[in-house]
Amino acid sequence: MRTAHPTRPEPQVADGAPLLALRDVQVAYGGIHALKGVSLEVGKGEIVAMIGANGAGKTTTLKSIARLLPLAAGSITFAGQDLGRLDTESVVTAGISLVPEGRAIFPNLTVRENLEIGAYGHRDRRAMGETIDDVVQLFPRLGERMKQEGGTLSGGEQQMLAIGRALMARPSLLLLDEPSLGIAPRLVQDIFAAVGRIAESGTTILLVEQNTRLALAASSRAYVLRTGEIAKHGPSAELARDPEIRAAYLGG
Amino acid sequence: MQALLDALVTGLAQGAMIALVALGYSMVYGVLKLINFAHSEVFMMGAFAGFYLLNALGGADHPVLAAVCGTLGAMALAAALGVLVERIAYRPLRERSRGRASGNVRVTPLVTALGVSVLLKNVAQLAFTARYKSYPQLFGHTRLLIFVVTLVTMGLLQLLVHRTWTGKAMRALSANVEAARLMGVRTGRIIAFTFAVGSGLAALGSVLYCLDQSQAYPTMGEVIGTRAFVAAVLGGIGSIPGAVLGGGLIGILGELAKLTQYSGGQDVLVFFVLIVVLLVKPAGLLGKTGSEKV
Amino acid sequence: MTPGPRVSPAARRLLLAAGVFGPAVLLEVGLDRFVADSSVRQLVMTAAINVMIAASLNVINGMAGQFSIGHAGFVGLGAYAAAIVASHLHLALGGGDPTFAHSLVVVPAAVAAGAAVASLAGVLVGLPSLRLKGDYLAIVTLGFAEMFRLVLTSVPLDAKSGVAGAIAKLGGQIGYSGASGQGVPLYAGPLWVFGAASLIVVATWRIKFSGWGRALRALREDEIAASAVGVDPTRYKVTSFVIAAFGAGVAGALSAIMRDGIGIVQPDQFDFRLSFDAITMVILGGSGSITGAVVGALFVTFTVKLIELAQGLDAVRLFQSEHAWLDLNALRMVLYASVLIALMIRRPEGLFGEREPLFARKPRGAAPAGAA
Repeated sequence: MRTAHPTRPEPQVADGAPLLALRDVQVAYGGIHALKGVSLEVGKGEIVAMIGANGAGKTTTLKSIARLLPLAAGSITFAGQDLGRLDTESVVTAGISLVPEGRAIFPNLTVRENLEIGAYGHRDRRAMGETIDDVVQLFPRLGERMKQEGGTLSGGEQQMLAIGRALMARPSLLLLDEPSLGIAPRLVQDIFAAVGRIAESGTTILLVEQNTRLALAASSRAYVLRTGEIAKHGPSAELARDPEIRAAYLGG
Repeated sequence: MQALLDALVTGLAQGAMIALVALGYSMVYGVLKLINFAHSEVFMMGAFAGFYLLNALGGADHPVLAAVCGTLGAMALAAALGVLVERIAYRPLRERSRGRASGNVRVTPLVTALGVSVLLKNVAQLAFTARYKSYPQLFGHTRLLIFVVTLVTMGLLQLLVHRTWTGKAMRALSANVEAARLMGVRTGRIIAFTFAVGSGLAALGSVLYCLDQSQAYPTMGEVIGTRAFVAAVLGGIGSIPGAVLGGGLIGILGELAKLTQYSGGQDVLVFFVLIVVLLVKPAGLLGKTGSEKV
Repeated sequence: MTPGPRVSPAARRLLLAAGVFGPAVLLEVGLDRFVADSSVRQLVMTAAINVMIAASLNVINGMAGQFSIGHAGFVGLGAYAAAIVASHLHLALGGGDPTFAHSLVVVPAAVAAGAAVASLAGVLVGLPSLRLKGDYLAIVTLGFAEMFRLVLTSVPLDAKSGVAGAIAKLGGQIGYSGASGQGVPLYAGPLWVFGAASLIVVATWRIKFSGWGRALRALREDEIAASAVGVDPTRYKVTSFVIAAFGAGVAGALSAIMRDGIGIVQPDQFDFRLSFDAITMVILGGSGSITGAVVGALFVTFTVKLIELAQGLDAVRLFQSEHAWLDLNALRMVLYASVLIALMIRRPEGLFGEREPLFARKPRGAAPAGAA
């Protein structure tokens, strides 16, 4: 997996400083106070998970990082840069790619075109070609379906395409929203194995996942969200042993 | 028999011109899911821009110069008008409705589109009066010209949509705006670009139409615009080949209707076709029956 | 419970009926006597007809959140149907001057015919297009209204047989002026016009504040959620569309046979401009608000009249003879359109939103907060 961005330098963070930091982020829409002050940090090279029940605010947190939702209060910094002042398009150029919930691939574009549009931010032919090769190596199934329209893929394949598409931008930080949702168990394994390999190549990952067991196994640290607030956080292995977490999310 | 052949040729030429206008509806609908009612008035404004430019450039004295520069000028002016309409009337609505859903979100842009259409039509009425303006006659073989120009334009457009970054961005945007933004696509710019291209094509269509039919008048948008719109729906709104096919069919159908005793019934027929299409195959002949979210 | 003086429901209804229809009866007796100028009487009745047009369009464009832009087609169908029925009945009743006694037969028959034809068209137009998502209704209603007008204007007037012959009898572009060609008999006095306007306003009011209105609102907000709780979207949408067409048919019928009317129905009275005026009426006041529709209708009626009056002024005539471009009607449309666009951008809910400012009544059955 080649990760160097063709034009943007690798984001530099001081020792011990987080790559991504949310400070007391609040989001409200449609009269609902969806986030009531979320603070979290993601260090460079980490896989961090966010777990919690439906409606706890996990997707909202990711969307607010991608600037798809307006902030009511609080700040989001990425490599020292204040994201609050950027729009979604600029966040992508800054090095953050979101794989949205429900995959949102472009059904009317071929698999190859879906991947190509992922490189829209830099439009560098060479980097594009290389990343397509890398993505195919990561997900061989996609290689066989390059000329098919995205809409004809199975759910699992679409998820692979969505992740591959996000990688095309050569992000420094990858936000994954529910990668296992509605996908055949066998493909879920493939996808999580790929996530591990993406992280090994140096890309930082913030993962939202309802399947708590999977999420805690894949990550080094985790945050537990409950009704728009961080209820708990710590190393994933510790949380997996926490009796309260076990009772609430791991079925005892 | 000869009459039938003549009707077919005229119909194809008319259809080619209608297709150019239909593309504007189709492209804008593709990216915004909005029926741009103002498009037919941009077509009409393009005809007037062409009229003044063609005459200013010497008209029949320098036919080639006048035709080329006049048409390009009219296209540029129409493109500017299209972008202006988008900026003033549609963009504020998009920004307002972003991230919230309330009752009449869907109706609001339609009312605005309709308002812009009525506004432009009546501004033209005031500015150019209701009198017909006669276009200078530049060429003998206008039909052939219409045909060639349309085919070349379609080819270029197909290249634009399928082979360029902008085209890919347009198609991505039409499928999912939020996802397109997540790819770093500046959706606002792409939308403005789409309006510019669609409006430019409408002006190309209107200048060609006027060179053939020789007149420009403020209500011409209603007549031709409606036919073009039906052509777009018939072919499958959002589809470029669909617009061409729809335009051709509507053009030929209209000319065939003229052969019957109900020559005035051409537009009745056009609407009839529209309603039948919506009943039988709402996605149009070449459109895809996608699962559109409510 | 609604606070207020304790009056038995039956008495309240009686009072309401008297309040609503009393004026209509009074006007039937008094309008001719007190208003000598027939053009003023015509204006007042036109206002009432526009109220019907706006209130009915409000059902589909405001309450149901659909978008019809061909309301003029339904008004026109109603007008033609009523004109035909009225003039034939008139001949059957022996002709002569329209009398009040005869109007008791002619007006209900003509209005019923107009409403029935318009409703039928509403079913035919609404059934296919409301099943589809997106803006198909807008397209189809526009197509329908234009087709109606074009069929009338484009039929060769010398056609003698078949459908074409029948349509040719309606006079094409020139218009239909009764079976005898002497003008459509003008039977509908103030009682009928104001009575019908009141009825339509009250009826749409009842719809808005009923379970029906709530279902429509739910559909408008979230179709998937609403159908999940058992609201059949197509049924509700088509029915409200037919209700709107019915109201438009009544309005058209009365406009054709209205006392002090012009005695002729012409296709161009029902062109896109009328549809656009109707949309302006509804949007201006606030889509969904019946008060808004009424206020919008009055506003549009009187601005049209003002322009008509202005065109009659010598000073304006003089100015226009020097400035041929000044088309006051085009100017009016420019103003309406600008106001509409500005309104959509700044205040898309219109003047009143969905509220009924003079009648501060809560929608019935709205659960009080915390009841669950």
